[in-house]
Amino acid sequence: MPVAHLAAVKALNSAAVLLFLTLLLLAAAKRLSTIIVLFAVQSAVLAADVMAVAYVHRIPEAYAIAALVFLTKVIGIPYALLKLLKRLQVSRQAGSTVSSALSVSITTGLIVLAFSAVHTYLGGLQVGEEGLAAAIALILCGAFLMVSRSKAIMQIMGLLVLENGIFLAALTTTFGMPLIIEIGVAFDLVMGVFLMGIFMFRIRDTFEDLDISKLRRLRG
Amino acid sequence: MVVLACRNPRVATAVALAFGVCEEVVLGSIVWMLHTRGVLVSGTYLRADGLTAVFILNLGLVFVLVLVYAAGYLRHLPSERFSSPRWFYALLYLFLFTMLGAYLSANLGLLWIVMEGTTLASALLVGFYNTEGAVEAGWKYLVVCTVGLAFALFGTIVLYLAAVKAGIPQTAALDWASLNELAPKLVHSRELVKLAFVFLLIGYGTKVGFVPMHLWLPDAHAEAPTPISAMLSAGLLNCAMYALLRYDSIVSRATLSSFSHHLLLAFGAASLVIPGLLMLVQRDLKRLLAYSSVEHMGIIATGIGLGGALGLYGALLHTFNHSVAKSLLFFSAGSVRENMGTLRMDRIAGLSRLLPWTSSGLVLGGLAIVGLPPFSLFVSEFAILNEAFSQAKFLVATVVLGTLTLVFGAFAFHFMRMIAGDPHQPAFASGSKTSPLEFAVMGVCTACLITFGLWVPTGFQSLLRHAVEVVQR
Repeated sequence: MPVAHLAAVKALNSAAVLLFLTLLLLAAAKRLSTIIVLFAVQSAVLAADVMAVAYVHRIPEAYAIAALVFLTKVIGIPYALLKLLKRLQVSRQAGSTVSSALSVSITTGLIVLAFSAVHTYLGGLQVGEEGLAAAIALILCGAFLMVSRSKAIMQIMGLLVLENGIFLAALTTTFGMPLIIEIGVAFDLVMGVFLMGIFMFRIRDTFEDLDISKLRRLRG
Repeated sequence: MVVLACRNPRVATAVALAFGVCEEVVLGSIVWMLHTRGVLVSGTYLRADGLTAVFILNLGLVFVLVLVYAAGYLRHLPSERFSSPRWFYALLYLFLFTMLGAYLSANLGLLWIVMEGTTLASALLVGFYNTEGAVEAGWKYLVVCTVGLAFALFGTIVLYLAAVKAGIPQTAALDWASLNELAPKLVHSRELVKLAFVFLLIGYGTKVGFVPMHLWLPDAHAEAPTPISAMLSAGLLNCAMYALLRYDSIVSRATLSSFSHHLLLAFGAASLVIPGLLMLVQRDLKRLLAYSSVEHMGIIATGIGLGGALGLYGALLHTFNHSVAKSLLFFSAGSVRENMGTLRMDRIAGLSRLLPWTSSGLVLGGLAIVGLPPFSLFVSEFAILNEAFSQAKFLVATVVLGTLTLVFGAFAFHFMRMIAGDPHQPAFASGSKTSPLEFAVMGVCTACLITFGLWVPTGFQSLLRHAVEVVQR
């Protein structure tokens, strides 16, 4: 159907740009709930990307992967995290150690770095350059989110963004890994978030705060 | 799962021990079948060969020791949510299950999934006591290892990409056995394979504890309950090293150069020197032992990086010897903790008078871990050094020998302070609190160390040789 084809092509073309937009918004966001919603949007873009790939390249397995991504990362994990936030009853501030403007600048710099890296080193791969650049940018910005925020939950968000980047890298280069592997990876991710949630309860109970800069007892 | 159902701690312990016996029988039969038949395959995702046999034997031994030790050690544990003995045993079995899965997986993707599973299974075990230190250690462990494994996932994907680009069919591109055989075809995507290996080394190296990715290790090993520390040091580090061995085998066949070996030597050297230096200034006994684990992983990496039949043989033998010796040391440390209530080495003195059996465990373990004869670590370290000298890699040998001297000094200093001298408190009126089970386990470890130091059993030798053949170029 022409409409579906048009939608797929549009999705493929604009996915990278949308992802960069979410990254910049993530860097600038101040509230935890905003960040979780942004992550859901990012994963939705990824799911749409997977569906477009499945349609254009006619890979039936990829539809299942798209559904998996949608269920876990767009609905499941964000919902669980929002509920966790409510139950933890901590302040909604995202606790950044770097100012908002500076983190947006750094994110922009990382995106540019990703583009240049892909262009110079991996240009010979003949895959969509912007897709791969988006993947590497996601990885770098996820790492940056992890180190620049002082709240425990921000580390989880940074980790999730990083995994999104890795997933996108797999998608753009090899159109996804075998289905079983993707299911296993998603399962691991969900269990990981679950465990980190348990730990956050414990951190709050023992340290009375979710500020991980307090976790400095063990040194040397 | 069955253990979780038992509410009474004593019943839970009994059930756990019973399952342990069954588990050992199963593992023993797997090893025996591998010994006689060579390779076992079950479906597309499970596979066991000579290399698997060595590691499963190792894990089986450590597990049964840890299980028996835990039965004695956990009698004093309070019951809280997620922290009762039944949870302990349930999580311990889950942990064992994931590690066995890693050894038995034929598919590299499945290997990653199960390795992440080991992190998840052991995170709750590390943070088992709900103290500040334990929670911090557990959180750090979970986050650092997940990030590390994310890099390993990236490496796996890049290797998959390299394989697909080189024309290997998609169904076989993640299967270790096929990749190993078809590795020469990967020469076409050599650069991608090298990139993949860098990420894989960083990723799985995080779980092994290579410097500079080792930051989670001292905390996790020190704050976890002692049986879990032993399981981590003696089981999990070997598991990650196993993954690196598999990848090294593919990559060294694919790149036709020593790229992977040079990287392993570099990381090994760093993991030797830095912990060696840090060990001198430690204050907590288990942290000291944790750094010693990192250092021994450096020795094993050096052995693998040197390649050659003797280097690989030494490395594999060392994984086994180190497991036994480190278990002995951790068990003794646990006994110290039980009786003295603290692990701060500057607050402990005169152990030889207070706890004679425990201190002899500490001394024997200490002598073993620094590599003195007649203990088994001498044999494996000697094999690795032999390989280094025969390949004329004198710098490597110097680093290893220098570190071993440093480590000997550190251990001698710390242990002498704890064992000799006058005790700060009068002798225990009611005898030590250590259960006989714990002593039994320590005795088994010591016996193993001395036996293997004097004569490696022929059956084990042939197992090792088969394993070396599997990985050998």
